[in-house]
Amino acid sequence: MSIDARNHEDAETFDGSDDGSDDDENKSPVQRWADDWIRNPEKAYAVMLVFLGGVLLTTSLFPLYWLFNVAMAPPGQTDIPIVPATIDLSAFVQVFVQVPFARFMFNSLFYAFTVTLFVLLIGSLAGYAFGRLEFRGKTPLLFSLLVLSFFPPATLFIPLFRAFNQQVPMLGLFTLPVELYGTPGAVITPLSAFTMPLAIFILTTFYGQIPDGLEDAARVEGTTRIGALFRVIMPLSAPGVATAGILTFITVYTEFFFSFLMTGNSAAEWAPVVDGVIAFQTQYTVRYDLQAAASLIAIVPVAILVVVAQDKIISGLTQGALKE
Amino acid sequence: MSRVKLTDVTKQYDDVTAVDNMNLDLKDGEFICLVGPSGCGKSTTLETIAGLTKPTSGEILIGDREVTNLPPKDRGIAMVFQNIALFPHMDVYDNISFGLRLRNFPQEEMDERVEEAARVVRMQGMLDRMPSEMSGGQRQRVAIARAIVRDPDVFLMDEPLANLDAKLRVNMRTELQRLHKQLETTIIYVTHNQAEAMTMSDRIAVLNKGELQQIAPPLVCYNQPANRFVAGFIGSPSMNFADATVGDSTLDANGYSISFDTVAIDGVGTGDAVEFGIRPEDIYLTENSAEAADPSRSFSVTTDVLEPMGDEIFVYLKPILGTGAGEADFEEREGLLMSVDPSSDISEEEDVEIVFDRAQLHLFDADTGDAISHGVVADADVEADSDGVQAD
Repeated sequence: MSIDARNHEDAETFDGSDDGSDDDENKSPVQRWADDWIRNPEKAYAVMLVFLGGVLLTTSLFPLYWLFNVAMAPPGQTDIPIVPATIDLSAFVQVFVQVPFARFMFNSLFYAFTVTLFVLLIGSLAGYAFGRLEFRGKTPLLFSLLVLSFFPPATLFIPLFRAFNQQVPMLGLFTLPVELYGTPGAVITPLSAFTMPLAIFILTTFYGQIPDGLEDAARVEGTTRIGALFRVIMPLSAPGVATAGILTFITVYTEFFFSFLMTGNSAAEWAPVVDGVIAFQTQYTVRYDLQAAASLIAIVPVAILVVVAQDKIISGLTQGALKE
Repeated sequence: MSRVKLTDVTKQYDDVTAVDNMNLDLKDGEFICLVGPSGCGKSTTLETIAGLTKPTSGEILIGDREVTNLPPKDRGIAMVFQNIALFPHMDVYDNISFGLRLRNFPQEEMDERVEEAARVVRMQGMLDRMPSEMSGGQRQRVAIARAIVRDPDVFLMDEPLANLDAKLRVNMRTELQRLHKQLETTIIYVTHNQAEAMTMSDRIAVLNKGELQQIAPPLVCYNQPANRFVAGFIGSPSMNFADATVGDSTLDANGYSISFDTVAIDGVGTGDAVEFGIRPEDIYLTENSAEAADPSRSFSVTTDVLEPMGDEIFVYLKPILGTGAGEADFEEREGLLMSVDPSSDISEEEDVEIVFDRAQLHLFDADTGDAISHGVVADADVEADSDGVQAD
């Protein structure tokens, strides 16, 4: 019986034998199901959404679950059961005892924070110029930034490594005054350069949208242009600044190539968290359980950041797109 | 309180001259309105005084200081913007105290000043509101409070009332005048609304195409406009204009002629092409010609459309048809607009007799538009004999 027939005033006059129920009885359950979905497509969409979400969640969360499983297994066990036999969290403590894992994490967090700070500061100045000023060659300059960001960073590794480590003159012109290799500078400078273009693009879009009147008002009230940028334009572009900052932070924190190769292997030599995970592997032993535990711990800062700032990121990314 | 002086200020954008050789000398405590149509350079002039735009050439003095190259913050100015420009992320208190905080005022003095400024604009007790929670008029008042709290030498106002509704605008206009009386600070006020300019200012500076046309008290701009542009811009509805030629003792327009004493007026001679202008209220029905200071002869015209305003009626008159004029000529000529008393018994499509008040007739040079004379002196003869139009 369809909803229409039941609610209709004339429904009573059919003496209970209406066509709808006859049809339903003649059809197989699958046919009825299909009919229902054709009439109410939103039901189909809901089911598809749940299904897709399930697939996505499984593929992204299962590896984490597997890491947890590995961390629960006793040392040396390679046959990992689908459900851990025992819950033994000692591996998570052991990680910090066996190697200075906290220092490794600090190193990576230090890189991420410093680069983010640099990028937001310099990117803001660039974003201000590109978003709010008119000057000759603005578009070509912005375009060349875009081209730079397409450049694979790995191609620049060898020249930078030689300049940082072997004191080879940069561009054949000057030698760096100090050896950067093994210091935070060797990681922070190249990574700042590589993450800068995206941040500049995001900030340019946002800073360009702040009405001129507000900047003028701030300048008349007593700020310089730079002062207006940091006191008025930046706070009003908070979603954009947050997006640029978080994307930079995550990129640098999870970066492997430069942070691994530009530093030594020990925590004291500013090695990143990757080295901390590798440190559980010696010439003769591999502590997979500790490596898994270390990996999980290393994820925590980024996970917290994303959970805390997710709505900022989403509003930041979509706002920029919608307001064009 | 300070005088403001602009000397030969020019601002060029690529090939557009926004402000052309502007010379202004504003007295201490004066309320000046910069008026003109959109794009006349009035906002640019204000921006150069504020320091938001650097003039291409010229010099700006505030008080006795040359400020041409100083940043806005060091000029001792405060500004109210057309779009109000309150900082949306700060509450009223923070908005008003923004400039004070930047200048590191002690907390108690800051509180005192903010309270006082809020009291002046009647916004006490709303200091913790956010701009998004307030109405347009309240925001504008906060913007004014933000301007007065620093006790600046000069106030700059860039169409501060343009975004308010009509009733609020009149209200705020009065408040601004009250404020000016109270603070006695020099105010430079930009508007394209000539009613605001007429009612508020001590002097009006009329701008067109980046050039200063006239700077004078409102009534002088109204009664003795320096040129055709000022005559047309000041006054609502606008002055009527018509091309004319100077005869021996007459002013001959297409279709009518007004006698006047050529000798009495400098700068015109027989045969000169001029343009004359007359305001709607200086045209009278012949039966009321006694009200005119110096009535001309009367002309027959036909009324077209009436616009009753309550206190007066605007009457659009069909162009006066000259005896020798053809149909095409009739179409091309513009009709006159006159203002009559609401008690007048007048209807559309009615033939009426009108007179011009020759004392209020303005003559402009046809080429340059410069004013030649305000009021043409009458001949001794009364022109009672000639009825209607007179062909050239």
